[in-house]
Amino acid sequence: MSSEFRYVGQPVKRFDVDKVYGGALFASDIELPGMLWIKLVSAPYSHARIKRIDCSEALKIPGVVAVFTGEDFPYKVGIYAADRDVLARGKVLYYGHPIAAVVAESLDIAEKAAETIDAEFEPLPAVLSIEEALSPRAPVIHERLGEYRRASFINPVPGTNIANRVKLRKGDAQKAMEDVDVVVEETYRSDPQSHAYMETWAGAATIRSDGTVEVWSSHQSPFAVRNLLAMSLGLPVSKIVVHHLYTGGGFGGKAGLLLEHIPVLISMKLGGRPVFLQLNREENFYYMAQKPGFLFKMKTGATKDGKLVFHIGEYYLDAGAYADYTVNVIRSSTFMATGPYEIPHIHVDGYAVYTNKVPTTAFRGFGILELTASFEQQMDILAEKLGIDPIEFRLKNALKPGVSITPTQEVLAEDAGDPAGVIRRAAELIGYHIPPQRSEEPWKVRGKGIAAAWKGPVQPPNAASSAIVKLNEDGSVDVLVGTGEFGQGTIIALAQIVAEELGIPVEKVRISPYRSTDLVPYTWQTVGSRGLYSDGQALIRALQDLKDQIKEVAARAFNVFKDEVEIRDGKACVVGKHSECIPLERLALGYTFPSGETIHGPIIGRGSHVPSGTTYLDPETGKGNPKPFVTFVAGGVEVEVDLVTMQVRVLKAVLVTDARIINPGLAEGQAYGGILMGIGLALKEAIGFDEIGALRNPSFLEYRLPRVEDMPVEMIFESLNVPQRNAPYGAKGIGELTALPWQAAIANAIYRAIGVRVKEYPITPERLLKAVKEQRPDILTELRKIMVGV
Amino acid sequence: MSLILRTTLPDFDYLLPSSLDELLALKAKYGERAAVIAGGTVLLNLIRLGFRYDYVIDIKGVRELSAIEYREGKGLVIGAAVTLRDLENNEVVRDKYRVLWDAVRQIGDFHLRNRATIGGNICNPTLQADTIAPLAVLGASIEISSMRGSRRVAIWELVKEGGGLLLDPDEILTRIYIPEPPKGSRGAYFKVWWIAGIAALAANIDNPRERIVRIAYSFAPSPKLVEGVERIFRQEKPLKVLIGDAINYIKTIVTPPSDARASREYREHLVEFGTAYLLRKLLGVEV
Ligand SMILES: Cc1cc2nc3c(=O)[nH]c(=O)nc-3n(C[C@H](O)[C@H](O)[C@H](O)COP(=O)(O)OP(=O)(O)OC[C@H]3O[C@@H](n4cnc5c(N)ncnc54)[C@H](O)[C@@H]3O)c2cc1C
Repeated sequence: MSSEFRYVGQPVKRFDVDKVYGGALFASDIELPGMLWIKLVSAPYSHARIKRIDCSEALKIPGVVAVFTGEDFPYKVGIYAADRDVLARGKVLYYGHPIAAVVAESLDIAEKAAETIDAEFEPLPAVLSIEEALSPRAPVIHERLGEYRRASFINPVPGTNIANRVKLRKGDAQKAMEDVDVVVEETYRSDPQSHAYMETWAGAATIRSDGTVEVWSSHQSPFAVRNLLAMSLGLPVSKIVVHHLYTGGGFGGKAGLLLEHIPVLISMKLGGRPVFLQLNREENFYYMAQKPGFLFKMKTGATKDGKLVFHIGEYYLDAGAYADYTVNVIRSSTFMATGPYEIPHIHVDGYAVYTNKVPTTAFRGFGILELTASFEQQMDILAEKLGIDPIEFRLKNALKPGVSITPTQEVLAEDAGDPAGVIRRAAELIGYHIPPQRSEEPWKVRGKGIAAAWKGPVQPPNAASSAIVKLNEDGSVDVLVGTGEFGQGTIIALAQIVAEELGIPVEKVRISPYRSTDLVPYTWQTVGSRGLYSDGQALIRALQDLKDQIKEVAARAFNVFKDEVEIRDGKACVVGKHSECIPLERLALGYTFPSGETIHGPIIGRGSHVPSGTTYLDPETGKGNPKPFVTFVAGGVEVEVDLVTMQVRVLKAVLVTDARIINPGLAEGQAYGGILMGIGLALKEAIGFDEIGALRNPSFLEYRLPRVEDMPVEMIFESLNVPQRNAPYGAKGIGELTALPWQAAIANAIYRAIGVRVKEYPITPERLLKAVKEQRPDILTELRKIMVGV
Repeated sequence: MSLILRTTLPDFDYLLPSSLDELLALKAKYGERAAVIAGGTVLLNLIRLGFRYDYVIDIKGVRELSAIEYREGKGLVIGAAVTLRDLENNEVVRDKYRVLWDAVRQIGDFHLRNRATIGGNICNPTLQADTIAPLAVLGASIEISSMRGSRRVAIWELVKEGGGLLLDPDEILTRIYIPEPPKGSRGAYFKVWWIAGIAALAANIDNPRERIVRIAYSFAPSPKLVEGVERIFRQEKPLKVLIGDAINYIKTIVTPPSDARASREYREHLVEFGTAYLLRKLLGVEV
């Protein structure tokens, strides 16, 4: 960004480095006087009726305070559909479903007692895939689906396993099928995957003597936890305080309410005693929700000249036993339907489908990962069939701000960004049209690929934020915002905005990473790449309010009109007069005249924000404006396929976004993290299930995360810096965006390297070998000739 | 029946003998009720997740089991409690026992290798144990000791056909003996995660009549030295041709398993092309 700013646009260093030396406080660090430990006991069946749970032995063990089972807590929790029992009631819905909670004086005792709990089950037929779940003969997992409390825009189909059904209709796709020259029909899939954040979930709760429920937990959005606790347990918001500490990563997996209701309800049962639940890694895989697996069917048509005409989709997410955010994630995939391209005729049906597997939830990208992983392969396949260069094909169909009609039938906003620009630049940076250098080892083959995406926050039209700014007596500033800090660095970017607006050094701005819902102003949630955009706007309003008060006080001190006062370099000055300035510290608590008379008192600014112009969507067609902004990205990769191991290595990755950037250092950090995460999702990570639905790999020993050696040798991150209207310094979110292009870009690059297309993620060596054998057996024959000699 | 995923360890008595006699006496006394712990990188997780022992006997207190001794012409003696990191840092291992060194440095990461021991690796064939195949091509034998005395068996005999160790309940793996490797020998290890490991050793490459080529596969649960490969390489044909012959032979002998980590088909691919890659690298054959 231009150098007209001193802080905004600069790579200001993170000041929250207490994480590095171990000083940062996480929920796992919470220790309350007299605290008891909770241990969950779960079921080794995917789908079964609970016949009996015998806790008598456990209760005899010294140090055990209580054991609870499902019937003790007759509540349903869930954000958009209250489909989750606190502990299983009546039946268990997945392998690892918690059925009991032991409470004891130490974790050790709780675990020993847990092992004595004897439960008996009557197994039921289990549903372990999307296809099985949709079969008319499938057992119905949620028999009372129709009775669940749910948001107005969620449409479950009672009597089936469909947790939500979403429709998008634009133009007439059926009819348009007649007007095309080329049609591509494909199916894309992925295994469920894991957020694999570093900090496993932990939460503590106690009830104060005045009845206030106090919660400390590992989450993204403190106000969402408060709201959902209130809604699910029937408590007044006024009786809940949620404390947000550092959170060790979330990636969507800690959005909303996690397991907070368990310690809260247990504490309520035990007269308010503090209780604590901390998951180990295996438990985190079973008890926390994961990223759903998907099955996206697509049929897309274009004319000879390369114009996209229609797209028909059936998008399915494997929601697992509880759908949590997944019912809304499928809306996101469906409404963004076709990526950053304009297609006149679109017909997409989206489904979130219950299965007897681990629960699922939001994941960085919120449905757009799945969409991009699928649709961007579809684009390459179409381009090839048309005989058109994939970049040219994309550019030809890219959305045009101010002109194009989006899948939800709105004109794309004039200031939406630069869809074509990011594609063009990414192609340039990866050298898409320059053949890759050959490897010296003939069994290693290289190729380049590209993918593009668009994404905006998926939020209700009234998703609000607010901010408070306090001027301190030394001219420093304390900022109160509600957004959660879990690694993104939003608080640093917000501090830069404050420093810029007041002309004070950024070191004089304090935004604590710790907050409590009773002490900071409201923000809806920290999700969807909206933190900086939404809280940033509230903050700018708060700063205007603050500055307005400063000017008012200074005007009286100078005896001039308010509009004759300006704020620069941490001082309030009379416009045009360098000598007449009062430093902010002398105004912070009000201004004291030489006589001692004091005016105004402490200066505090406040500001609110709610997006304008977003609407609910038509349930039959999806028509409406779901997003306050969208960001466009494109990613290019060069990969090397090792035909000996069938492992794929990303040699180079380039990422281009159109967003304005407040802090290039933080943005680059997001980009590198997003690239590595994308590589993991593309090539390595899969949650595996055995025949009975137990997890095969609930640990980092066998859940294969990308490692440092998987990092591309070269990474480039660039921003086109297109300003967004009504945004803090024109900035919009990029957090999720940086992870979106990689699955498809890598798949496309593999195809361009060896002519083999893998439509199932992750593209493991195993899957790649199978695809090579099916699609290009000649490659192995040739390899055999040069390496084995026969 | 229920599922409990523990964080804490269940109770057991921890014993730390300081001499070999004491160690063997304890193992004799407690037999299967006792587990031997070396680095603990496997054992503690197994115990946390469900294995139960009344006693855990630490072998790290026995000094002599942490020694590496090399005598020119005689070979190398490695104590069972020697850490992988110590092996990696040992110059003799690096220079003379290259195939072992190459395998060791590919195990886990630094943190792990600082704790994990070679004895623990060998005695843990449920995962792929990456040191067994290299030891096999080096012709290593292991010393198994108990109060009843010591016996020495070839490394590839340790794992019984179909899994399970040769050790009796009172026995402990105490030392690994590796003879002086053939003069001028080279070695390399090829590995794909816990899916396959291939160890190869070669010497006298230019002289067919004295040429030595050995290959072993470390598939869990039963690693294998492929006998007969050596014979193939003694023929007077171009190396390139011999590699092809060897691989075709190996493909008839090695039947890799199928498990949760990989299919048999994928492992077969690695047997064919991984071996080709490794042999070409080792024998200096250009593609
Ligand atoms: C993150 C991670 C990565 C890993 N990566 C690899 C890898 O790449 N390759 C690989 O091969 N392994 C790997 N392992 C497995 C393991 O760490 C190694 O096999 C290691 O060498 C085991 O040694 P240890 O001393 O820790 O064994 P321990 O855990 O102490 O013991 C392992 C088993 O052997 C028995 N045992 C140990 N010593 C003796 C003895 N002297 N006599 C009789 N029985 C004995 C124990 O009772 C136990 O059953 C990994 C483990 C982890 C946690």
